[in-house]
Amino acid sequence: MRIERRLRQPWWLTVVVPVVSILLAFVLSAIVLLLTGHPPLKSFHRLFDAAFIANGALTETVVSATPLVFTGLAAAVAFRMNLFNIGGEGQLYGGAITGATVGLLLAGTPSPLVIAGMILAGAAGGAFLAAIPAVLRAFFSTNEIITSLMLNYVVGLVLEYLIFDSHSYLRDTTGFEAKVFPQGKTLPDEATWSSWTIHGLVLPLGFVLAVVLAVLVWILYSRTRFGFEVQVIGDSPRAGRYAGMRTRRKILAVMCLSGAIAGLGGASQTGDFQHQLDPRALRQANFGYTGIVVAALARYNPFAVVLVALLLGGLTNAGFTLQGADFPSGLVGVMQGLILFCALGGELFVRYRVRFAW
Amino acid sequence: MKKRKFALAVPLALAAALILALGVSTGSARTQKQSAAFKAAWIYVGPHNDNGWSQAHDKGRLYVQSKLGSSVETTYKENVPEGSQVSQVIESLIRDGNKIIFATSFGYQSAMVAAAKKHPDVKFEMATGTAQSANMAEYFGAGEDAIYLSGMAAGAATKRGVIGYVVPFATPEVVRHANAFALGAQATHPGARIKLIWTNSWFDPGKETKAAQSLHAGGADVLGQNVDSPATGQYAEKKGIPWVGYDSDAQKFAPKQWLTAAVYNWGPYYLRKVKAAMNGTWKTNFYYGTLKEGFVTLAPYGPKVKAKTKAAIAKKRAALIKGKFYEFAGPLYDQKGKLRVPKGKRLSVKQLYAMNWLVKGVIGSAKG
Repeated sequence: MRIERRLRQPWWLTVVVPVVSILLAFVLSAIVLLLTGHPPLKSFHRLFDAAFIANGALTETVVSATPLVFTGLAAAVAFRMNLFNIGGEGQLYGGAITGATVGLLLAGTPSPLVIAGMILAGAAGGAFLAAIPAVLRAFFSTNEIITSLMLNYVVGLVLEYLIFDSHSYLRDTTGFEAKVFPQGKTLPDEATWSSWTIHGLVLPLGFVLAVVLAVLVWILYSRTRFGFEVQVIGDSPRAGRYAGMRTRRKILAVMCLSGAIAGLGGASQTGDFQHQLDPRALRQANFGYTGIVVAALARYNPFAVVLVALLLGGLTNAGFTLQGADFPSGLVGVMQGLILFCALGGELFVRYRVRFAW
Repeated sequence: MKKRKFALAVPLALAAALILALGVSTGSARTQKQSAAFKAAWIYVGPHNDNGWSQAHDKGRLYVQSKLGSSVETTYKENVPEGSQVSQVIESLIRDGNKIIFATSFGYQSAMVAAAKKHPDVKFEMATGTAQSANMAEYFGAGEDAIYLSGMAAGAATKRGVIGYVVPFATPEVVRHANAFALGAQATHPGARIKLIWTNSWFDPGKETKAAQSLHAGGADVLGQNVDSPATGQYAEKKGIPWVGYDSDAQKFAPKQWLTAAVYNWGPYYLRKVKAAMNGTWKTNFYYGTLKEGFVTLAPYGPKVKAKTKAAIAKKRAALIKGKFYEFAGPLYDQKGKLRVPKGKRLSVKQLYAMNWLVKGVIGSAKG
């Protein structure tokens, strides 16, 4: 048996393979469910009902998906150039810190100004953190995977230091509750990002921003010279150099762009949802690392990033709804894992084919 | 190449259509099925069987279920992170028809407050918190009293006078528990020093093992903890040093080295509140359970606890119950030797809820 690359990909494969993989995921989870004594159809129904159908479920799914769109885009933008920015996690923290700081500093000014300030500050904070591994990579050929990954821990500790171990500007030290548990200062009302309600579906500004960014990234990578050069360098750095492309500049630009997008995700977390700098919530969520999974599942396509983020966000939310006294959380993990595994595994058969040869 | 870009879009759209069809077809059946049982739910920060904090709450839930039988339907959500996710969990519990919700970790408080405002017909119960409102009650208990007694067992077991204590977050709750533990240890081993290591997590077996390791390497010959998993105990059993647990009876993880643990008995409170919610007499409250009521107590002793120690602990326990003794009564000195509570004064519950200093003999920072 041999696996070989397909020279041509018949169009129907892109439809049939994913549908079959999703069906396969259902069948496999159904077997597990039956073996553990749970009705499969009812369980699936509950899973998808909780993720997308039930009253208000889609709104919650969008809430969970928003940070993943940002971090997914951040990873996709860099990975397209074979530049492995694993630092989305830390860049998101960075954006949350700078975003929250500006939100507090600009208290009292008109709301649009505060929000604009938070967006810029979040992007700048993320870009700054990404610039560190970018400079090291561009000028000293350091492995950006390691430097960006390690920075995550550094920024994570800074984040905790700001709220737990110091009396920083961001920490709330007044009031009884703040004494009971260290917490960030609550942002002023002006710093609450706007949201729009369409037929009961609440779209937060962060999500809208993320979708706009996805469109912009698509335009950048498929319609501009910059995007073309980035992909050439990604496919073959030597060819890029031979053609006279400036590799160092591209590395700096792409890393900073990636960091800025992740940083925006952090600002959106504070502006849209948390309204204070909350280290535990940010650290437990693992948005940055999940973003890498999102980018990989979406095969670095910005529009697919949005869809995959919604799927993952929905699956996460549904997981919490499904589990309970009669449904162990481990089983939920098995179902989510099977769906993702089959979706990803199926991709193999679009690009490759299996030949049986003796 | 172009077609590949839509590789995921097409199946996702198809899947969405499938799901919608599935949802519509079974949606009507869902609304008809109205369960007669009263629904109550619990939210845990760790697994329901963590052998610690969350398990103690789950024992309480099962107690309610067994006492009220088929007239209630209880459920739980486990491993729920503190942060924005919990609001979604609360909403889905309310959608499922739960009429009373117990949140058992401090980090859920802001989401609980917001949900309580939004759903005035649902009763909210927040463990270890501070925010009380018309449909949100607060409950906890004098864990420190039992922890003091468990500290006495640790103090009696130490030879070098150095005890390691694995602690989660530097919050007043944990600070007062560490203080009570230290005071108890010093009662049976005068001058005992308590070393703290913060894990910055309620439940993280990996970090807890590492903390236990470095405490042992730093000279501690007895280990205690305020975190949720029995990882410290497993390490202590391996190294042959005595261990004091927390929240639940976890003797099975360290059969030889187990001393005891301060444990909570949440069941009776849960039963009372669920019953009240069922018959419409539910009222908000700030409940602080005591040793006397049996809300907090000591887990059974392990083989290493000497009869003399047991007698000393029993005596202190009786004095605590009668109110003749209180661990947070003056004179109390802080780490630097400054007098914090003068003789004849004692700390109130409100002061305990804001405690941010460590007593003399504790090595570590109250800032985490």
